[in-house]
Amino acid sequence: MNGLATLVRLALRRNRWFYAAWILGMAAVVPATAAAYETIVGGLATTGALDLLAENPTMRAMLGPPYDLTSPGPFTVWRVGTFMATVAGIMAILGVVRVTRADEEEGRTELLRSGVVGRHAPLTAAVVVGLLACAVLGLLVGVSMVAVGEPVVGSVAYGLGSALVPAVLVGVGAVAAQVTSSARAARGLGLAVLGAAYLLRAVADASEEGSVVRGLAWLSPVEWMALVHPYDGERWWVLLLPAALTVLLVAAAFALEGRRDHGAGLWAVRPGRDRATPALLSVGGLVWRLQRGSLVGWFVGLAVFALGMGSLSGSFDTMLERIPRLEMMLRRLGQGADTLVDAFFVAMLGIVAVLAGVLAVQLWQRLAVEEHRGHAELILATAVPRTRLATAYLLLAAVGSTVLFAAFGALLGLPETLAQGDLGPMLGSLRGALVLVPGALLVLGLAVLLHGWAPRLSWIVWVVVGWSLFMVWVGSILGLPDWLVRLTPWEVLPALPVEEMDWTPVLAITGAALALMAMGLWGYRRRDLRLP
Amino acid sequence: MGVIEIHDLVKRFGSTVALDGLDLTVEAGEIHGFLGPNGAGKSTTIRVLLGLLRADAGTARLLGGDPWSDAAELHRRLAYVPGDVNLWPGLTGGEVIDLLGRLRGGLDERRRKDLLERFDLDPTRKGSTYSKGNRQKVALVAALASDVELLLLDEPTAGLDPLMEAQFREVIRQDQVDGRAVLLSSHILSEVEHLCDRVSIIRAGRVVESGTLAELRHLTRTQVQAEVSSPVPAELVGLPGVHDAVVHDHRFTAQVEDAALGDLLARLAPLGVRALTSTPPTLEELFLRHYDQSGAGTPRS
Repeated sequence: MNGLATLVRLALRRNRWFYAAWILGMAAVVPATAAAYETIVGGLATTGALDLLAENPTMRAMLGPPYDLTSPGPFTVWRVGTFMATVAGIMAILGVVRVTRADEEEGRTELLRSGVVGRHAPLTAAVVVGLLACAVLGLLVGVSMVAVGEPVVGSVAYGLGSALVPAVLVGVGAVAAQVTSSARAARGLGLAVLGAAYLLRAVADASEEGSVVRGLAWLSPVEWMALVHPYDGERWWVLLLPAALTVLLVAAAFALEGRRDHGAGLWAVRPGRDRATPALLSVGGLVWRLQRGSLVGWFVGLAVFALGMGSLSGSFDTMLERIPRLEMMLRRLGQGADTLVDAFFVAMLGIVAVLAGVLAVQLWQRLAVEEHRGHAELILATAVPRTRLATAYLLLAAVGSTVLFAAFGALLGLPETLAQGDLGPMLGSLRGALVLVPGALLVLGLAVLLHGWAPRLSWIVWVVVGWSLFMVWVGSILGLPDWLVRLTPWEVLPALPVEEMDWTPVLAITGAALALMAMGLWGYRRRDLRLP
Repeated sequence: MGVIEIHDLVKRFGSTVALDGLDLTVEAGEIHGFLGPNGAGKSTTIRVLLGLLRADAGTARLLGGDPWSDAAELHRRLAYVPGDVNLWPGLTGGEVIDLLGRLRGGLDERRRKDLLERFDLDPTRKGSTYSKGNRQKVALVAALASDVELLLLDEPTAGLDPLMEAQFREVIRQDQVDGRAVLLSSHILSEVEHLCDRVSIIRAGRVVESGTLAELRHLTRTQVQAEVSSPVPAELVGLPGVHDAVVHDHRFTAQVEDAALGDLLARLAPLGVRALTSTPPTLEELFLRHYDQSGAGTPRS
């Protein structure tokens, strides 16, 4: 383990802003939620509407199991805890891959390893720094909860859980970095594992009480923090699960690293074709070839998510029968099971609409990656005009994200359609999806504009997307002013079928998106290419 | 008319001046060496010629067209090999060669096969598994196998072993027979010396010297070593045009300007020459003289 201390310092130095941004962003939400408890919950507690909230499958699927909503502590754990543990997992995976596989791919690790640095030292440094970040996050969560006046014991449990759940993902990232031979694949594998864990607990939490499926939540690491039940008779032993799994995964990563060559993954790279197929021999063909992997990955993820969530809606009827009080309340509010299902679809579409924006921007920004890596230079030195290269990326980003989101919409309604033998639900959710597409196009347009005129500022689009995702997921409950929560490209679009169809915002946003794209392409034609 | 005509080209990156009034002319059918140390502006010049970067001032003509506004059309008639070739990790070398060839407008199948054999390149391997030299070969095959009028090669042999470098030289010489012009940037001087008809030396964004090798040699001195039977008279050391003279017993070494060679030999002959070596100036020396002097923008001649 020669040079470990140096490597840890180096990793800390190179990643301090990365971790600081993630940790502060997440940690700020926790005390804000606890402090806003009275505003959010207010009178609900006395009316029994809180129970309604607790049994609402949409809320359970998105946020986790509400074991106690009568005080700010456990309410915060439910409202933001599981969601934040998942987001912290993203941080953990990206952070570990940055220092391991990404550095190895860029040749930086080779430089270090050629010095007096032990074989496992770079991986150890990545794990140490990753775990340190998780610990800091947990500490901030615990301390801030105590600071807003919550019980110390519960806050300790909450803080420990918030640190140990992402710690598991540090292990996942470390293993993924060994198995794959590129940073892209490592990130993909790690995030796929995290996504699967989140989906598993979403399905489990939203299914009926006492069913076998609900018990499956115990298999999802992102659920373990909530299962400790902070502030409500803490089950401390549950914390052993993430701790043990982290140790196991990190040990596995070290074992795997000992068995592979530097620069290689466990999945060997096989030889390919000696000639290109005609399908590759155009700019569009190349772009498709480079992006199809991530499109297929997104499609599988979205399809599983859609079918998982969609099949939940079928259980709403039985749930209403089992909880008569819930049905009575819905009746009193003038709503029935249909409305409950519609509201569920609207909530799901609202979230995935922003994810479609993430996909569109990610597909487009591959062009920036191609410039940075010098691939674009090779292409643009041939008889390919810049606008043709950029348009190929833009078209795939727009069409790819639209098709995938439409497919998500259709698949979301599919289980209900099959159950009822009626095309209605499927067409309804498909329509609901299509009408939200302009939102993704608008952020895509912003990304194109930034890339064309100010490529250094391209991160701004991620702020917009991150803001939108945050608002659609947790914003409405933080007690923020309504106009602020609705300040996203998607919120002005009609939420079918709960709201009426309104063409004005749909056409206006589409027009704005197209204008931004055209301006961006114009700028891209005029500026210096970014070169490695 | 030249295939490349650059006059007073300026390119800035923020406050850094990368090209500072660069002039460069490459005639049709000639192999033109473009010499300079790292950071002198060689790659920037080539990237302006490719329309990847936009010039801030000055004029550049490429194959009779404007390298910025006519970029895509002009690129059908030229091929480019970057200094640091980065391939797509998931595409094989063969796929990249075919793709770049097609996007340029076509590939000569016979040459493709021939070049793969010459460079001993396995086209079935994925980009991520190639070494630096092999990535370079992929780009070279793609460029050399296409039927173009001009090759822009940015340090093309940086990763090649000596055997492959020799293959490369042979291919380029054959190309010249076909009437192709080549702009070859390099800091490997022997390569330029072996291949190029004319050379331009670039320093800090300006071309400080341009001409045929013979023309540039007049600027340099020949290394003379003589061993004579009688002691060397002291006045030899002070002759005009003789520099860094060292007299050691019966041996005499000095750097001699071409104009002073005759006079020196006439004075050496009566001393009874036992051995005489004269080493012609290499481009290395030429090069060092332009870059060893810190600060000075104008070359000493």
